[in-house]
Amino acid sequence: MSQRVNEFIAKNRKFIPIFSTAVLALVAYGIGAYLFVGMRNPQVFFNLFRNSSYLLISGIGMTFVILTGGIDLSVSGVVALTTVSSAVLLREGWNSWGVILLMLAMGMTLGFIMGSFIVYLKVQPFIATLAGMWFARGMCFFISDDAVRIDDRLFTILGKTKILIPGLAELAEKQGSPAPYISIPVVVGFVLLIVAIFIAHYTRFGRTVYAIGGNEGRNEISARLMGLQVNRTKLLVYTFNGFCSALAGLTLALFVYSGHGLYAPGFELEVIASVVMGGTMLTGGSGYVLGTLFGVLVLAVTQALIQFIGSLSSWWTKIVIGVLTLIFIGVQTGLATRKDRYQVALDAELMESKRIRRRRQALVWGGFVVILVAGFIFIPRITGNNAAETAEAGTCVVPPYREEEAASLIADGAVIVYNRAAGPQCVDEIYAIYPDGRITGNNGENDVVKQVPPEDVEQLLLTISDDYGWFTDDIYDTYHNPCRQCFTHYIIASHGGQEKAVTAVDGGVDMPPGYGLTLAIIRPALPEFLTPP
Amino acid sequence: MSEWNNNILEMMGIDKAFPGVQALDKVDFTLRRGEIHCLVGENGAGKSTLIKVLTGVDHPEAGKIFLDGEEIHTRSPQHAQTLGISTVYQEINLCPNLSVAENILIGREPRRISGIDWGKMNAQAAEILKNLLDIDIDVTQLLGTYTVAIQQMVAITRALFISSAKILILDEPTSSLDEHEVQQLFKVLRKLKENGVGIIFITHFIGQVYEISDRITVLRNGKLIGTFETSAIPRVELIAKMIGRSLEDLDEMSKIKLETSKHIRTEALLKADGLGRAGSMTPFDLELHSGEVVGLAGLLGSGRTETANLLFGIEKPDRGSITFKGSKITDYSPLGSIKRGVGLCPEDRKAEGVFDDLSVRENIILALQANNGWFKYLGVQEQYKIADKYIELLQIATPSPDQPVGNLSGGNQQKVILARWLATNPHLLILDEPTRGIDVGTKAEIQKLVLSLADEGKACVFISSELEEVLRTSHRVVVLRERQMVAEFSGEVDENTIIHAIAGSEE
Amino acid sequence: MRNQKKPSFKFRNIVESRLFFPLLALILILIFDLIFVPGFFNIEHRDGNLYGSLIDIFRNGSTVMLLAIGMTLVIATGGVDLSVGAVMAIAASVAGILMNPSALRNEVFFVTDPTYTFQPLWVVIGAALVVSLICGLWNGVLVAYMRIQPMVATLILMIAGRGIAQLITNGLRVQITYRPYAYLGQGWIILPFSLYVVAIVFVLTWLFTRKTAIGMFIESVGINFRSSFFSGIDEQKIKLLVYTFCGLCAGIAGLVASSNIRTSDANNIGLTTELDAILAVVIGGGSMAGGRFSLLASMIGALVMQAITQSMYAMGVPAFALQAIKAVVVVFVILLFSQQVRNLVRGFSSQKKEV
Repeated sequence: MSQRVNEFIAKNRKFIPIFSTAVLALVAYGIGAYLFVGMRNPQVFFNLFRNSSYLLISGIGMTFVILTGGIDLSVSGVVALTTVSSAVLLREGWNSWGVILLMLAMGMTLGFIMGSFIVYLKVQPFIATLAGMWFARGMCFFISDDAVRIDDRLFTILGKTKILIPGLAELAEKQGSPAPYISIPVVVGFVLLIVAIFIAHYTRFGRTVYAIGGNEGRNEISARLMGLQVNRTKLLVYTFNGFCSALAGLTLALFVYSGHGLYAPGFELEVIASVVMGGTMLTGGSGYVLGTLFGVLVLAVTQALIQFIGSLSSWWTKIVIGVLTLIFIGVQTGLATRKDRYQVALDAELMESKRIRRRRQALVWGGFVVILVAGFIFIPRITGNNAAETAEAGTCVVPPYREEEAASLIADGAVIVYNRAAGPQCVDEIYAIYPDGRITGNNGENDVVKQVPPEDVEQLLLTISDDYGWFTDDIYDTYHNPCRQCFTHYIIASHGGQEKAVTAVDGGVDMPPGYGLTLAIIRPALPEFLTPP
Repeated sequence: MSEWNNNILEMMGIDKAFPGVQALDKVDFTLRRGEIHCLVGENGAGKSTLIKVLTGVDHPEAGKIFLDGEEIHTRSPQHAQTLGISTVYQEINLCPNLSVAENILIGREPRRISGIDWGKMNAQAAEILKNLLDIDIDVTQLLGTYTVAIQQMVAITRALFISSAKILILDEPTSSLDEHEVQQLFKVLRKLKENGVGIIFITHFIGQVYEISDRITVLRNGKLIGTFETSAIPRVELIAKMIGRSLEDLDEMSKIKLETSKHIRTEALLKADGLGRAGSMTPFDLELHSGEVVGLAGLLGSGRTETANLLFGIEKPDRGSITFKGSKITDYSPLGSIKRGVGLCPEDRKAEGVFDDLSVRENIILALQANNGWFKYLGVQEQYKIADKYIELLQIATPSPDQPVGNLSGGNQQKVILARWLATNPHLLILDEPTRGIDVGTKAEIQKLVLSLADEGKACVFISSELEEVLRTSHRVVVLRERQMVAEFSGEVDENTIIHAIAGSEE
Repeated sequence: MRNQKKPSFKFRNIVESRLFFPLLALILILIFDLIFVPGFFNIEHRDGNLYGSLIDIFRNGSTVMLLAIGMTLVIATGGVDLSVGAVMAIAASVAGILMNPSALRNEVFFVTDPTYTFQPLWVVIGAALVVSLICGLWNGVLVAYMRIQPMVATLILMIAGRGIAQLITNGLRVQITYRPYAYLGQGWIILPFSLYVVAIVFVLTWLFTRKTAIGMFIESVGINFRSSFFSGIDEQKIKLLVYTFCGLCAGIAGLVASSNIRTSDANNIGLTTELDAILAVVIGGGSMAGGRFSLLASMIGALVMQAITQSMYAMGVPAFALQAIKAVVVVFVILLFSQQVRNLVRGFSSQKKEV
């Protein structure tokens, strides 16, 4: 009996990495569901897919690139470029479908250009795609300096349409709870996944992709000798990834309804981590596209768990992802030194392989120990704390400033307008302070009003003007990549015929004292939004 | 050419030169239909160059190649394959991360509208293996999970199937096979022979040559020594042709040898007791004395380099021990050896010796510096002094000590490596093929140098494929065969005795 | 009897010299500035210190120059270190927290006293450097002893490192107000203080690699791994050393950067700087396959990158459009250094092969 089990395992050894990732994702979700009531809501499960559909789409393209033993660092740039370009084109009134097609074509073209550099000019993929990323991000700012909102009907439909799950919808109705839904991008992602799996396993192109990667470049030489079209395949792979990046960018645009050159920072690392955790080796040649789905899931579950824990903050995601990636790489390379037997005969260095394998195993076990220990430390801390209910907003993408709204408020007579965005709850609030003591606030869903004595407003204005120097040159913009925990601010003050607008990010590089103090004095005066039920 | 010819391949008057070396000198080679023809010769004889010329990797300066009566010029291995010349190299040029069926059929996969028809492909691959080679394996498993023997079979299958090959070239196919697998391979080759495929079989295992081949061609130092019917040439004669007497005759050398042999010490400098390593050498005993040159003789693959590597610490023995200057060695590593005063001038200077981009000076002082460690830096002036000394001593042809070694000819590179080890002033110097790829005049110089080192009181181990060199230079000769030390003679032994010892008792 | 080589001014030697291409690039950029950017070369003399665009190139380029020093050695062994940006952030976080640990209590305590610091300066700097050494050691162990590919191994710290940095500061940006620390990045003794830091690190590294055998061993390991083994060089220790050292350089760079902006910003410090560092080395002629290195050439490479940036700023090009231009320049430079072009140049000026 155990003989048969052993045989089964030996025969299917290649599936171990992907299997373990899938198990990990499900187990992690299971633990979360056990600890947090909120996670048992089926919508939370489906939200995992909704929030990470752009990661999945990009991951699929990246899987092909990594399978050939290459890498593509440009994905985040292309994603950002796609969001900005589409936002601006839509603003200019271009046809929605036309924009979508154009973006996809643009992605493919960029991919093709980078692929050409790699294949024909023999530039290392790392460098070529790095330059591609810079170029793409740079182009974003040629197009638009600030974030641009997307207001297009088609995009709204594509993004907000809820697709009910057949079967579960009726169940939910009976229970009286809202029917769980997914969004169109999720469907697109899955369709792409199926197409990709088909390509990878049922076309010569796909098999050539596998043939090229791995074995430290020796496979590529063998593939050429075997007569396979290596150059053409590599070129296509990068082009395809360009397509996927653009598609992912469109998906992101559908999610946040805006475009900005700063979006998706560090995205390429998340994508690579998903692919690696899905069982694809960075050296190429082995791995499954389906695995990337599980890798994406692992990331999504990690993020959800951390949000539910609440007291931990999102940077833990990065650490956990780092450790997980480490473990997976350890497992992969551990399995690899055992594999190619003939290589052992030829490669004298692998005489050391036993020792190296033992070291790597130690590393893997060490990683597990770290996670267990971390778990023991933190789980007691967290079981008492069910802060977040639905992990609706996966990551906070900073919304652009509501400039026109602010300007119109000033035109209506407000003396101070304050727009605050991002932060841990990903807010987007705009307040106006009027000379008659009225203070209004709007966070996109609700309005609040507060009334203070008019003299207080007058005093406020005098303080920020005379004491804090608001209208002098000492107050200036401080803008930097906003972090997920911190707020971005936009203040316009109008007093004595002068008007000055300043944007800044928390703790900005050289935020002048006057600004900080102004913030400190305005904030307490503002009315509060009631927390939503 | 002739119309009805049994020769499927004719190569005539092939010349190929690399800087400083004439790799092929007017070599002729013919291959008949349905024949297994072995190509033999020691390292540097020109076998691989001949094959490279045939398959289009290199282009000859002179000579013609005729395939089936028509003249051809192969441009690349892929082109050769389309012409019907398929090669299976020692490094299996397949993709171990694809399945067996894929490796055989990729490029010609059976397809449906819905993509590759895996069922059909697997069935087809299994059928081909069965018909062609009489092998029955699970073609859905990854190639890398199979032994080298099986992988080789798959490589042969692809080579034959993909382009209905007329000529199959096998370059050292049996190096990683055990006896049973070799027999399997031979069965396959005989089957192919029946089908009229011409097979060129390169190997250094003389036993196998006699077992499988119809004819044998011997190359030596780029020249064709002769082509013989296997049944007509006895083993001993074959070996003699491969490594035996060359045309030079240096009586001077024997005189020097006689002189120096007076200075040999009696107590052992290094004593190896039952030293061995699985896969490299069966356990052996060896004693080395200061002032003595010990030569290791044997064919390629007999274990000479492995012995050298074990003595120097490149590989750690799993059996036995080495006693050096009376104390047992515990630190088996190159650095440990250097510190003890042992040096190894390695066989493969490209992969194991030369640093292309570093200058001659840096290459020379490197091991000496390694001995000193990180912080005791030999000042630049000192380095130039040492470099100059050895450039002078070995007559290294270089415009300056700062010339990157990659720019020098092979022979001079070899001298630089030699200088490196001389500079460490070792008690024991092991030289593995120090004269490979060097012109005749320099060869003699190096041989004289080795003897003079002995005269200074050093112990030397001298390995060379040229038996005559070994005899000329050594005070004592140890014979190796198939990873075993089989005999030991004094340096005055005659060539025939040695050749018999190398050939073994089957004759 | 041969004596030491005489400096040769033959065209061949100049072109072949490692410094030629990067220096040429730098000169071309400066000429471009001379023509197109008025006032670029103005140097002001105020309170005994020098200010001006040229000086800014050095000041703003200090971070990349420091990183390039460490990265040069790593690349010379045939590896790469992608985690330097994250290590910068970690070092900055450690320093920031040690000066103002209020962030750990979840309050952002605005320190107004420029002489206040929780721990003395030497502890602050020392701890930050020790931590960055450990990071480098970690990378070194993964690459040298676990034989994990450098790109993969350092990728891990690159991802996790920022998380660790944020962990240290509890996710908040720590303001740095301690005057002596701020001096690192903002002080001025005729020339910007950070330039002196760079110079000291450069000189020490140069002594360390060229006045000991370490530089030669690094090059040999990069050129031919196996030959190094045969020659008795302990390749594992060398690799461990260079990665540790690179971590240290990243730590110093992190201190300088954070002092420059007076914040420990775990998210943004050192973002994308690893790529700048790699490029500085490549522009300086370093091959990513390993081998010969030149610290000076890498520094010039870093200056080239910074000069491009500075010129664009001076011309009023918006900050982020810069990235696109950098990309184009980089690709151009890489191609220029590609094997094909190198062979062409070598064809003009090299010696014939010996026969």
